[in-house]
Amino acid sequence: MKISLNWLSQYIDLNGLSVSEMSDMLTFAGIEVEDIHQQGVDSPLVVVAQVVEAEKHPQADRLKVCKVDVGDGTLHQIVCGAQNYKVGDKVPCALPGAVLPGNFEIKVGKLRGVESCGMLCSASELGLPDKEHGLWILPQELELGTPISSIVKADTIVEVEVTPNRPDLLSHNGMALELAAISGREYKPVLVDDQNVVLEPAGDFVRLENPAVNPYYTAVKISGVKVGESPDWLKERLVAIGLRPINNIVDVTNYVLHELGTPLHAFDAAKVQGGLLTRAAADGEVFKALDGQDYTLNSSDLVIADQSGKALAIGGVMGGEDSGVTDATTDIILESAWFFPSNVRATSRRLALSSDSSYRFERGTSAWNVLRGSVRAVELILEVAGGSASNTLVAGSPTPNPAYTNSSICWSDSADGPMSLAASLIQGKGAPVEYCLGCVKMPWAKLDQISSATIPHEEGARILSNLGLQQIQTDSETWVIPPHRLDLTRDCDLLEEIVRVFGIDKIPARFYGPFVPESSVDLAYDFQMKLRRKLAAQGFYETQTIKLIASESADNTIAQVKDAMPIRPLMEGDLIRVALPLSEDHSVLRPAHTPGLIAAAVRNSNQGMNGLRFFELGRVFRNTGGGKGRDIETETLGILVAGERNPRSWADARPAQASFADLLAVMEVLAPGHSFTLSPARPREQAALGADVQIDGKACGYFAQLSLARCRELGLSQAVYVAELDLRKLQEVLTAPVKAKELPQFPGSSRDAAMELPLSTPNADIVKAIESAKEKLLVSFSCFDVFVDASGEKLAADRKSIAYTFLYRDATKTLTAAEVDAAHQRVLKALTDKVKGLSFR
Amino acid sequence: MKEEIVKIQQEALARIAEVTDRRGVEDARVAILGKKGVLTMAQTGMKDVPKEDKPVVGQLLNDARKAITEALEAKLAEVQALADKAAVAGVDLTLPARSLPMGGLHPLTIIRDEAIGILRRMGFALAEGPEIEDEFHCFDALNTPEDHPARNEKDTFYFDSGKLLRTHTSSVQIRTMEKQCPPVRIIAPGSAYRRDEIDATHLSVFNQLEGLYVAKDVSVGDLKGTLEYLLRALFGADTEVRFRPHFFPFTEPSFEIDVKLKVSGQEPRWVEIAGCGMVDPAVFAAVDKERGGEPCYEGMTGFAFGLGLDRLAMIRWGIRDIRALIENDVRFLSQFQ
Repeated sequence: MKISLNWLSQYIDLNGLSVSEMSDMLTFAGIEVEDIHQQGVDSPLVVVAQVVEAEKHPQADRLKVCKVDVGDGTLHQIVCGAQNYKVGDKVPCALPGAVLPGNFEIKVGKLRGVESCGMLCSASELGLPDKEHGLWILPQELELGTPISSIVKADTIVEVEVTPNRPDLLSHNGMALELAAISGREYKPVLVDDQNVVLEPAGDFVRLENPAVNPYYTAVKISGVKVGESPDWLKERLVAIGLRPINNIVDVTNYVLHELGTPLHAFDAAKVQGGLLTRAAADGEVFKALDGQDYTLNSSDLVIADQSGKALAIGGVMGGEDSGVTDATTDIILESAWFFPSNVRATSRRLALSSDSSYRFERGTSAWNVLRGSVRAVELILEVAGGSASNTLVAGSPTPNPAYTNSSICWSDSADGPMSLAASLIQGKGAPVEYCLGCVKMPWAKLDQISSATIPHEEGARILSNLGLQQIQTDSETWVIPPHRLDLTRDCDLLEEIVRVFGIDKIPARFYGPFVPESSVDLAYDFQMKLRRKLAAQGFYETQTIKLIASESADNTIAQVKDAMPIRPLMEGDLIRVALPLSEDHSVLRPAHTPGLIAAAVRNSNQGMNGLRFFELGRVFRNTGGGKGRDIETETLGILVAGERNPRSWADARPAQASFADLLAVMEVLAPGHSFTLSPARPREQAALGADVQIDGKACGYFAQLSLARCRELGLSQAVYVAELDLRKLQEVLTAPVKAKELPQFPGSSRDAAMELPLSTPNADIVKAIESAKEKLLVSFSCFDVFVDASGEKLAADRKSIAYTFLYRDATKTLTAAEVDAAHQRVLKALTDKVKGLSFR
Repeated sequence: MKEEIVKIQQEALARIAEVTDRRGVEDARVAILGKKGVLTMAQTGMKDVPKEDKPVVGQLLNDARKAITEALEAKLAEVQALADKAAVAGVDLTLPARSLPMGGLHPLTIIRDEAIGILRRMGFALAEGPEIEDEFHCFDALNTPEDHPARNEKDTFYFDSGKLLRTHTSSVQIRTMEKQCPPVRIIAPGSAYRRDEIDATHLSVFNQLEGLYVAKDVSVGDLKGTLEYLLRALFGADTEVRFRPHFFPFTEPSFEIDVKLKVSGQEPRWVEIAGCGMVDPAVFAAVDKERGGEPCYEGMTGFAFGLGLDRLAMIRWGIRDIRALIENDVRFLSQFQ
């Protein structure tokens, strides 16, 4: 919302307040200041000038050397780059010493060698909206030397964001009231005589068919108005806050909306047949609004229709193109009404149609303001457009703030009568409108509690009184809420007001809290941070990719569902898709980390990086039972390895390419003392190789090599290895309590064995055979060489050679060579027995 | 014999002088002093020396052995020194480092861990909740009525099931309070989702850090103390912090917190860093109702806060475009290690 300080100062004394003080005042009232800018200039040195001469600049084609007359008897030479004027035009001229918006001071200077004594100005250079490109061409009738500030008053425009709980601040008067209460500055309210306005039941003239949405409607018929341009003061107010003046009637309704916050609408009475009818729209009813657009309504929308049934306006949102006030209008009907906020919001949302009216109605307007707005607008219309006004026709009645229906304190407290007088407001004469106020009880003990007893009660009472609340005489803890403060319904609302105005900076900070034991989330977090640090130390970068990924995308730097497939099968319905994605690129919750890791790999490969080592920890998502089951969120670790093991350097000019074993190696680093094994499985879609991953024989995740076809599609020339590990399972194994083992007292002896066996026999068979020997003296074994020869020269092409080293030890004595040999022979025998086609070399 | 010894000594010293490597020293030692070395052989001739000459010849022999041994040792030291020098002669120390694979943590992890570390020192424990939430935990229980703008399907990702992606980590407040009675003192880092078009300042998935402290007598002073401590620990002990009154449905009073950012060469400016406030009694009422049985939150007091971690990272490192945080370009990631 835009606030004009000129306008605001009509209702509050702003004398001596600097712009930054103003900004702070708003900020600490809880009103966010988005922008402050100066509009127009108040310097008397910016004046009306006439261009008397304009010659081409000797050194610059695009500049002209002008002689201008500012009525002081001499001609001023000014160099000007604008193109849109001619000799004889009147334009604003800033003379040396003038200060333009942005603290820009005009000085005598030389432009390309020619002296320039001032500046001819465009509207935007004076902080005003640009009407034309170039200089602001002024009307000829203006006298030379007239300060521009007397034509357009300088103003400061503050753009603020008002929080949704404070609709009462959405007007200049409302803002002034608030700022006056906070600062103690003088409040000068708009005087609206809503007490003496003559009310008359609207009878058939206004029928409310849908009182649940529109319970209260007032109309005033004003006949004999003269529609025309608004007076300058009115136009100036509207232009200052960025509104376009239309005609005096419409301008008054807009003025009152921004002055008091009451949305109003004026119909051309000639376009209204019979009277008015507020009703639910018919499903499919098409309405042409005054923005020229057709809107298709449904039965949840409310329209204002005439008695022929024709819709004239969408209630609280926008009037119709046909029923508005035009130059030909002589009689008008002025609407001031109350609409239920959520209905206006729903209609405005669905139609994507918002107006200054709907913005206020949907946040909640005070029913108290309905008559005030109407009275104020009638007064102004009669002033600027003449005519005569009918009595105010009233249909329905204001509904009390529903939040007060349970608060009976105010009236149970008073001895007689159902309601204390202080808790109701009467408006109008004839058929008075009674508007119910609320009372709220706020125990002072609560103020002591929330403020650590730093706010004196008198101070709290003073703050509430300044905000317009009344302490009832019989109970110092009960307050009557003023009619504009719809948000004050509970004691905590009052506490907020006191704390907010008192200022949190005056409440001392406290530092204490109870002891809280570590949670399972703490343990998981610590475990995961440990993994992260280990992986980083191993030369892996942690990625954080966006959790909403694409089902498919032509951009390979976008994570896509299909890259999860090498790791996990995706059944129909497994994937969790948002109903209304903003773009297909971010529409599915990631089922695995691999899509994000692969996208990161592609992005970095595109930047010329060869060795790709990434990991990510976090949640992955899937639904059990094909979309009908539960949504599961699992914490997993994804790792990707591809390309050169080391970055190329003079010390390693041709780095080796990473293999699956690199991925396995880094997993082992994460789990010293444990062992990871891959159990080959049928490769899944998009995979060249696949395996289940086990830690100490327990399943904990999946491994895959990305299919070479997919790598080509992605533009990756490297083999890409990925793994996805379940963090909960890893945590179980890796955080088991550790007991230190005694170091062996006696030396061990090692023996090597070189075996030859069929190429197709996996290493796992050898391991199984060795383990099957259950050799007590064997403490460890490992594979240290694998040799194959596709050419068949050194070894038959269908055979491979694998070498193992075995370590034997007895915990109680030093083994003799013979004992070691015997044990070794038992292991070798198991190997020959269990592995088909194995021989020793 | 005497002449012979003198000759052996002379020849031996000459030979040693010519030696240029360790091997040569060893060979010379064997050839001269070894079992069959010339001096050793000459020594065996002692038995033929006349008795009266024995002292003199013996002396000569001893002198020769001493001189030769010394020469050998000196030579050994000399050739070893040369060899040691040669061993490092070709090393060009001006060559650059060889490259090891570098890695590191994501900046969001770094800042999150820092914030979590500070808060855990202040006695907060971690808590969590699902990212796929229901309307109750994300809105209803947080005093956000059905027609609140945040609940619009234009702003929130909904699923056909009616569930949604949590729009803030505040849902963890409800999840936690459902499970336990006060005192509650938790923090919950996590993702939140808003239906925002991704651009330089917005992500549809972003990272928050939620905090909640509920007990019998929690005041605005506790809120202030906790958050000032956190922000000063993150941004420096002399950081200026201000609390601006604001509005959130689930806290009252509510504040937004700004820190004064001082970047050299720029005017210091306030930047918004967090939202916070005293827990609204309506939230406690909703939790008690959901828990059923004896209410344990009625009459309790508490504060809650939410910190934008992406924003924190951007401010800490002067990151201009938030998208850098999800692109994972190594040229970016490598700057934070």
